[in-house]
Amino acid sequence: MPDEAMAEVHIAGGLVGFPTAERFTLVEWGGDGSPFSLMQPVDEQGPEFVVVPPTMFFPDYEPEVDDDSAERLGLSSADDALVLVIVTLGDTAKDATANLLGPLVMNRHTYEGAQVVLATDAWTTREPLFAAPSGSHVG
Amino acid sequence: VLVLTRRANQSIMIGNDIVVTVLDVRGDQVRIGIRAPRSVTVHREEVYAELAKANQAAASPSAANLEQLRALIPPKP
Repeated sequence: MPDEAMAEVHIAGGLVGFPTAERFTLVEWGGDGSPFSLMQPVDEQGPEFVVVPPTMFFPDYEPEVDDDSAERLGLSSADDALVLVIVTLGDTAKDATANLLGPLVMNRHTYEGAQVVLATDAWTTREPLFAAPSGSHVG
Repeated sequence: VLVLTRRANQSIMIGNDIVVTVLDVRGDQVRIGIRAPRSVTVHREEVYAELAKANQAAASPSAANLEQLRALIPPKP
């Protein structure tokens, strides 16, 4: 089935380390029931990213957006915000991690977005997306 | 590198609209206040480097990796 373009996203100043990566098309990806989307660069030379809403993988995740970022994005309440996290596919996709320290926060009405750096040590840039196989416990 | 000596509560200006103030010096820690326009993002350098590395690692995954991820998507209930 065709992937569906959802929105054009503008990230002023780009992503950290990719200052010119400002314009993306957010495209549903993975077929029916997939939580994942692709952020495809409007400029063909730019990087592409897999993104996902964090809630289904990280139910405890509540990023606190600083006031400056909220104001810049025109967020007057939490309901205005659409939060996506960037997925890094590892050597195999099972090792995929999500960047919870630097989520993409956008205004769901304007699709003006930013990679917000959270002022917390609670989350890292590499949180495993898929739980370890059953039987293995950490700690 | 420009080196300046400052005491607590003294500032430096960067350009016309960025003010960096030394707030407090205790032992080997220095508290710094930064006043800058909203368009200027301010990060701890190590956090910035960590995020740049993470974005680099996430950028433009291979088609093979994407297919592996597609296979892990749970079927629609």
